[in-house]
Amino acid sequence: MRYSVAVFPSLLTLFVLLLLGSHAAWQVDLGAFGLSGVSVALKVTSLANFFAVLVVLSLLAVTFIAGRYSLSKVHYLLLYLLSLALLLIVYAQDYLLFFVGWEVMSITTYLLLSFTLTPKALVKYAVFAIASAMAMLGGIMILYSAGQSFLYADAHAAYAALSPVMSVLFLLLMLFAFFVKIGVIGFHYWLADTYAEASDFFTPFLSAVLSKMGIYALMVLLLYVVDISAPPHRWLAYTLALMGLLSSIIGSFKALDEDDAKRLLAYSSIAQLGYIVTVLSVADGMGGALYHSLIHTLAKLLLFINVAAIIAVTGKRKFSELGGLIYRMPHSFVLMLIGIIVLAGMPPLGGFASKYLIYNNLLEEGSLLVLAAMMFSSAAAFLYIYKLIYGIYLGHPSSKKLEEAREVPFVFLLPQYLIAAVTVGLGAFPGAVVPAINSVLAESGLALLPYSSATQLGTQSGSYDGLVVILAFVLLFAAVLWLLLSIKHNRVKEAKDRFDIAYCGEVPNEGTRLHYAYSMGKELKRVSFVGAILRHTSAVFYLFVSRQLFAFAGMLRRLYSGNLSVNFNVAVLFALVLLWWSMK
Amino acid sequence: MVEYEMIVIDLFLMLVSAYVVGFLYYGLYRNITARFQRRIGPPVTQSFYDSIKFWVKEETLSHGWMFYLGPVIMMAGALMTLFFIPFFYQSDAFSGLSRYGNLFVVLYLMMLGPLGNAMGVGAGGSPFGAMGVTRGLTRLFAMELPFYIAVIALMSINHSADIATIAAHQESYNAFSYPLLFIGALFSFIAMMGQSPFDVPGAPVEVYSGPASEFSGKFLALLMSQSAIFSFAKLVLMVNLFLGGASGFAELLLKTFALFVFVIAFGALYGRFKTPQSVDFLVKVPTGIAVVGLLLAIYGG
Repeated sequence: MRYSVAVFPSLLTLFVLLLLGSHAAWQVDLGAFGLSGVSVALKVTSLANFFAVLVVLSLLAVTFIAGRYSLSKVHYLLLYLLSLALLLIVYAQDYLLFFVGWEVMSITTYLLLSFTLTPKALVKYAVFAIASAMAMLGGIMILYSAGQSFLYADAHAAYAALSPVMSVLFLLLMLFAFFVKIGVIGFHYWLADTYAEASDFFTPFLSAVLSKMGIYALMVLLLYVVDISAPPHRWLAYTLALMGLLSSIIGSFKALDEDDAKRLLAYSSIAQLGYIVTVLSVADGMGGALYHSLIHTLAKLLLFINVAAIIAVTGKRKFSELGGLIYRMPHSFVLMLIGIIVLAGMPPLGGFASKYLIYNNLLEEGSLLVLAAMMFSSAAAFLYIYKLIYGIYLGHPSSKKLEEAREVPFVFLLPQYLIAAVTVGLGAFPGAVVPAINSVLAESGLALLPYSSATQLGTQSGSYDGLVVILAFVLLFAAVLWLLLSIKHNRVKEAKDRFDIAYCGEVPNEGTRLHYAYSMGKELKRVSFVGAILRHTSAVFYLFVSRQLFAFAGMLRRLYSGNLSVNFNVAVLFALVLLWWSMK
Repeated sequence: MVEYEMIVIDLFLMLVSAYVVGFLYYGLYRNITARFQRRIGPPVTQSFYDSIKFWVKEETLSHGWMFYLGPVIMMAGALMTLFFIPFFYQSDAFSGLSRYGNLFVVLYLMMLGPLGNAMGVGAGGSPFGAMGVTRGLTRLFAMELPFYIAVIALMSINHSADIATIAAHQESYNAFSYPLLFIGALFSFIAMMGQSPFDVPGAPVEVYSGPASEFSGKFLALLMSQSAIFSFAKLVLMVNLFLGGASGFAELLLKTFALFVFVIAFGALYGRFKTPQSVDFLVKVPTGIAVVGLLLAIYGG
C-alpha cells in the first residue's frame, strides 16, 4: 500500500499537465435528465490551469508525507475524492458544476476532519461549511432566476439583468460563502480550531489549497460576473479592501498570541490571504493576487510540513515545550528559515516577488493608505514569524528529551527541499511565472504585466532584477564570511555548554527557565490598540447569533407545539396567507 | 566585460566611503553626545580604532553556526541596502546596483539586518537577547508605519518608485514642499537610527538586545562596522527622499551631517520610552501627521 497510494496522485498530476497545453472544452445540455435548457460546461482555461497545478502540487506533497501516518484506505479515498472535487471546481465553467464540486469538497473535508477533530471544533466547521454552501446556493439561484443559465459565459448578462437590490443580495451571499472558506477575519471562527486539530498530514492541504478555493471563487466572480472597476461597485471594492486589511492586521497580531505552532500558522494563513483579498479590490490586482496565491501555497506547504515533522518526531507542538532544536535538526531549521523568509516576503527569495507586484499594483491604482496599512501588517508579521522559528529551533530546549532529538525523517525533508528549491528559484527568476499569469490576464482581457526576461519582474512603475539581488546577497554573504574566517589571529571558540551565556551576572542551571518562547509577544498587549485586538474575539458575535437563533426556534416551537389543534390552526392560517398571496 | 568591472569598482568605492564616513559620524556622535552631558568625550577617531582593535581581540565565544552567521547576514543586509541606494541623483558613479531595484526593494532589504540579528541572538541562547529582539521587532513595525506612509506619498507624487527620480524631482526640497510627511518620516527616522526616545536599550543597560551582550571580538567589530555603514546608508536614503539628494560628495556630506546632528541632538535630549509606549506614540502621533500630510499632498492640490 505504501507505494500504491502514489499512483492516483501521479496520474492526476499527469492528467493536469496534459491539459495545460490544450484548450479542451465540453458543454452538455441536461435535457436528457429532464432539465432542458440547463447546460453545464467544463473548460481548460489558463486560470483553471493555474489553480489545478496548485492542487496537484499540494496533493503530491501531502501524499508524500502521508506514508508516515497510519492512515486507512478511507483516508486516501477521501483525499483523492477531495482532489477530484477541487479539480471539478477549477475546471467548471458554470455555477452548477462549481456548486457540486464545492459541496463534495466541504463534505469530504468534513469526513477527513472527523477522524481527529473534537466534536466542538467539528461542529464549528460543519456549521460554517453549511452556511457557506447555503449562501452560495442562494446566490446562484438569484443569478439563475435572472439569466436562466448557470454558465459563466451568460453570468455577466444575467447579473446586469438583476434589480439593484437583488444584485447587492447576490454579491453579499457570494461574498459570505467565499469569506468563510478563505477565513477572512470575522468569518474565521472555525478556522484556527480546524487547522490546529486536523491530522498533521492534512493541515498543509487545508491551508495550501482549500482556502485558495475561496480565492479562486472570488476571482471567478470578479472575472466573469462583476466588473469591480465600474462605479456602482465601489462599495464592493471598499469591502474587499477593508476586509482584506482587517484580516492581515488582526490575523498577524492574533498569530503572535498563540503558543501552538499550528494555530499560529492558521492565523498566518488568514493574514496572508488577506493580502490577496485586498489586492483583488483594485482593477489590475489580478496578477499580484495570482502570484501571491502561488507563493502562499508554497510557503504554507513548506511550513506546515516542517511543523508536522517536528510534531511527529518530538510529539510536542507548543513553543513553550519546544526550543533549541537547531543543532539537533539543522536541515529542518534551514528549511523553516527559507519558509519564513518567503512568508515574510523578504528578498532575495520568491516571497518578495509577489509582495512587490502587489505593492506596485496598489501604488499605481492610487490606493495609498491601503498600501501603507498592508506594509504595516507585513512588518508586524515579522514578530509572529520570529516566534515560530525561535520557539521551535532557537533558544533552549524545554525538556531533556529534546536534547536527544534526531533529525526528522527523510520523507519530511524531501518535499520541503523541493519546495524550498522552487522558492529560491523564484527569487532568482521572479519573472518566470509571469507568462503563466499573463495568459490568465490575456484570457480575461486585462492589462498584461510587462515582461522582458525571467530574471526581471516588471510593473508599470519599474522593475527589479531577482538574479542580481540574489547573486549580490550570496556574494556579499560569502565575502563577509570569508573575512570573518580568514582572521586567524583570534580563533572563535565554541561555548562549552548551553549555559555558557551572559545572564546578568548570574549563573543559570538546569532549573532556570531559559526558553523565552512562552511569553514572547505578551508585552505587545500593553500597546492599547494591539491589546484591544487581542482581547476581542468574534466568538461574542457568534454566541449572540446562536442565542438569537435559539430564541427564534423557541418562538417557532410555540407554533409547532405538538398540540394538534394549535398545529391545525397554524396550518389553516398559513394556507390562507398563501392563498391571499397567490391571488394578489 | 568592462561594465561589470565598473560596477564592482563602483561598489567598492561606495563601501569604502560609507565605512569611512560611517565611522567618522560614529565618532562625532560620541563626541556630541558627550558635550550634551558635559563631558569631553573620546577623540573622533576612537571608534575607528576600537573596531580595528576588536577585529584582533582574542577570546571570542560562539554558540553554534547560526550564532556565527547572524552577524554575517546583518553585514550582508547592510551592504545590500547601501548598494541599492544611489549616492547622487544624476551620475552613474556611486549608483551601485540601484538600477536593478527600486525603493520597495530597499525598504525590504533594510529588514535583512533585523532578521540576521534575530537569528544570531536567538541561537545565542540568552533569554534576554531574545527579549531584546522581540522588543526591537515590536518597535520595528510601529516605526516603519509613518515612514512607509511618507515614502508611499512621495512615490505616488513622482509616479515612480525609483530613488534617483524622487531625488532629482524636487523643486524645493520635499521636506519643505511636504512638511507634514517629512515630520512624520523624521520620527520614524529617529527610531531607525536607534535614538531616544524610541531606542531599544543596548548592552550597558538593564535588558540588552543582542550585539554587545553575547557578541564579542571580531563579531563585535563586524557589528560596529555594520552599524556605521547601515547608518550612513539610511542617512543617504533620507537625504535622497526629502533633502533634494546630492550632486557631489560635499553636498552629500553636508546634508547627511546636518540630518545626523539633528537626530543625535534629539536623541540626547529625550529619555527613553518603554517599548509599548513608543509603539503607542508612533502609531498615533507621527502616523497621524503622516496621514494628514499624505492626504494634503495627494488631494490638497
